[in-house]
Amino acid sequence: MTLRTATGERQAWVGMASTPGVGDVTFERLLATWGDATTALEAVARLSPARADEELAGLIGLRRRTGLAAAIRVTAADPGQPERAMLALGGWVLTPLDSAWPASLHEMEEPPPVIFGLGSPASLVAARMVAVVGTRHPTGIGRSLATRVGARLAQAGVTVVSGLAVGIDGAAHLAALEAGGESVAVVGGGLDEPGPAVHRRLARQIAGHGSVISEQPSGIRPTAGTFPRRNRIVSALASATIVIEAPARSGALITARHALEQGRLLLVAPGRPLDPAVAGNLALLRESPARPLVGLDEMLVDLGLDDQVPGPRVPGTLLSTATALRTLAGPEQAVAQALSRGPQTVDGLVRACGQPPGVVAAALTLLQLRGWAKVLGALHLPAGPLLDPPAGAHQAAGAAAGGSGRSGERRMAS
Amino acid sequence: MLAILDTAVVSGLRGELVRVEVDIAPGLPGCQIVGLPDASLSEARERVRSAIRNAGFNYPLSRITVNLAPADRRKHGAAYDVAIAVGILLASEQIRASGGPWALLGELSLDGGVMPVTGVLPMVATLRDAGHRRVCVPARNRDEAGLVSGVEVVGVDGLDDVARLVAGPRGRLAAAARRRAPIRVSGAQAVPDNSSWSGQGNAVMGAARSWTELADVRGQQHARWALEVAIAGRHNLLLLGSPGSGKTLLARAAPGLLPSLDEHEAREVAVIRSVAGLEQPTGERLGRPFLAPHHTTSYAALVGGGPALRPGLVTQAHHGVLFLDELAEFDRDVLDALRQPLEDGTVEIVRAHGSVRYPARMQLIAAMNPCRCGWYGDPVRACRCPVREPLRYMRRVSGPLLDRIDLRVVMPRLDATELVGAARPEPSASVAARIRQAWDRALARSGGRPNGLLRGRRLLEACALDESARATLAEVAEGLELTARSVHRVMRVARTIADLRDLGAVGSTEILAAASLRDRSLEKGPAA
Repeated sequence: MTLRTATGERQAWVGMASTPGVGDVTFERLLATWGDATTALEAVARLSPARADEELAGLIGLRRRTGLAAAIRVTAADPGQPERAMLALGGWVLTPLDSAWPASLHEMEEPPPVIFGLGSPASLVAARMVAVVGTRHPTGIGRSLATRVGARLAQAGVTVVSGLAVGIDGAAHLAALEAGGESVAVVGGGLDEPGPAVHRRLARQIAGHGSVISEQPSGIRPTAGTFPRRNRIVSALASATIVIEAPARSGALITARHALEQGRLLLVAPGRPLDPAVAGNLALLRESPARPLVGLDEMLVDLGLDDQVPGPRVPGTLLSTATALRTLAGPEQAVAQALSRGPQTVDGLVRACGQPPGVVAAALTLLQLRGWAKVLGALHLPAGPLLDPPAGAHQAAGAAAGGSGRSGERRMAS
Repeated sequence: MLAILDTAVVSGLRGELVRVEVDIAPGLPGCQIVGLPDASLSEARERVRSAIRNAGFNYPLSRITVNLAPADRRKHGAAYDVAIAVGILLASEQIRASGGPWALLGELSLDGGVMPVTGVLPMVATLRDAGHRRVCVPARNRDEAGLVSGVEVVGVDGLDDVARLVAGPRGRLAAAARRRAPIRVSGAQAVPDNSSWSGQGNAVMGAARSWTELADVRGQQHARWALEVAIAGRHNLLLLGSPGSGKTLLARAAPGLLPSLDEHEAREVAVIRSVAGLEQPTGERLGRPFLAPHHTTSYAALVGGGPALRPGLVTQAHHGVLFLDELAEFDRDVLDALRQPLEDGTVEIVRAHGSVRYPARMQLIAAMNPCRCGWYGDPVRACRCPVREPLRYMRRVSGPLLDRIDLRVVMPRLDATELVGAARPEPSASVAARIRQAWDRALARSGGRPNGLLRGRRLLEACALDESARATLAEVAEGLELTARSVHRVMRVARTIADLRDLGAVGSTEILAAASLRDRSLEKGPAA
């Protein structure tokens, strides 16, 4: 007989929760039937092997499932295995029995019985967490919006939560890290192979500046069912969820629904009417109490963060846009100014600045070398200080682009 | 009796002299061709016999031996027909060679007609160099052969005409010979012949019909500029972009921008056209070739070869442009075959009985979608490819080939304001004038070598970087993580940009602008 210590019970709890076939519901019933995990494991192990599945089903009041009792018996023999596997990966395990369990997850209706993680467990209880979610197949504009939102949140000291998927998720995570902030990735499978293969490096980076977590023990591969389930953790951890770009039937819409059910703030980027790439966004705006995301400053106001001092910044972005623009001259300044208003093609910049393509191209390379611009296909994205236009820069840039260079300069200088 | 005549054969792009010896001796009637003939040449026997009879002569019922010298070279094709037939007429004493020496080229049809052959231009040049003053060619090859100076060229329609030439004004039998009119069943007059072989590729020369006029191309300022730079410096260019962004339209503007051929280049192009069996444009200057083969083009069609060793499309595009639309859809080994021509400007075809080297200094302009669905990296439309698909698609074009493309530019789709904008874009003629000036500056500086072909020390000298430009180049190389090869590429392109601006030395601005034309963001994958 196992000694019933807190440690023993925690081990049994983690073991039982990690048993294949034991989900939230089964776990809940096992606990309700026997009172604690240790007793439950012992009781199931004592059932006669021949009729164990039927008896177990009767005792906990669920449909019979072949092999469930046998799986639990395996766990009962060595309940410490899942945690040991996690420690071997350099990770950790949290249960609601631990004091470090994030309070936000206690508020959930069906909280996960256990969370496995890599990186810093403290990142789960950060003061401000916001989820940024969207499609795996974003448009260029969607991707760049995710980047700008992620970077701005990180600059405001917010931990960016997302699902480590390719597309919007990845762009938001990466932007947060690049802006010197923290990020939390919630993945659908085990942490021995977190997220899609193309994001392995990103996963390691996130573990270094935040954490990568999962409710699945290592060795479990994600299935169609695990992704929607992890989405409820994404929305629960965050105080608000931002939907960047979601076509109809996107997984991001599930996260959005969870966020609303959990009473969280939901911000949705409006996009263009009739555009299938944002059909999900538009449906949310029409049918739910979501608020539209209209600007980065307005976003911080809606999140209640407008009075916050800016958070950490990467070196080189300590400049404000206005200061950064003052370090440039001639065509470079005009191009930088046009770019600070948002992503542009070379042709767009040619029109905005009235300079020939060769001059614009040279200016873009210069900005790229300074880390103030990035390229994605045909789009050039603002980066560094150009991402952070202070109030007033919008008008200034607009005036300059409108052909009135002098008034632009005057406002820039003020 | 023995008759000896001169004719020629094409090897690579050069003609070679071939001597035809015909001996008629008593014996069992028959005709034997020796001197390494291949199957197509053995058939000459039958053509020659019918042609002689139908031209109004007699086919001798004796033992006929035809020798083609030099005997160690494999002979192929039908261009010896006329020489063999005239040899038989001479050897059987039906005509006498009283018209003086003639070199003879041409294929015979059964009715005694003389059909055109390929490669007349280099063959006539070789005959001239061998001392011949008069050459008889098929009438349809007359204009082409006329491009060779210092030799009298006569075009003939039938074997009877040839006989009259060879026999001279006093040859009575020859004068009386008349071809019999064949009985025609179908009304069709045009028999497919070698000169219409040009079906493959789309050689736009001289004619303006399939060019794009740049004044009709809306928007795409960036890509237009890239095309201008590419053509001014003969840099290879890759246009990347979503469907409908105008890649093909823009690339087809190239023929209207290319500077004209100089004398030497025009001669080379004419020879290649002759050997490839393409018609020579009459009455107008030869333009730079612009070939746009379809992506199902085979290796042999591109590189050259086939049983008769014809020059391929890379050679036909010599001194011109080879435009490959949908680059990633070409077979991989077809694309890899482009590496040698892009590197040395030649292509070598190696066979068991020897190798041929064709010139192939073409400029490559390629266009492709960034991924299978075409929308990867598009600002407003989502790419529906699986995660790694865009990368995989780019990798269908091998790294070494991409490495040899100096310029790449991503073309976004146009938005409506650009399509309906009032501004009339710059017409081809004024862009072409700018290119011409930059081109002349580059050639004058580097001894006839366009910037795209500058390597090593020549490149350094041509760029004449000052202190600050050198610093900029170092910064660009480090900041954009350029390889040594890429640094040289940036320098070459910068040189051309400077030429377009009429600058003696390459400055920082040109280097920065050149660096922007080698964007590789689409090759790096969606993660970053």
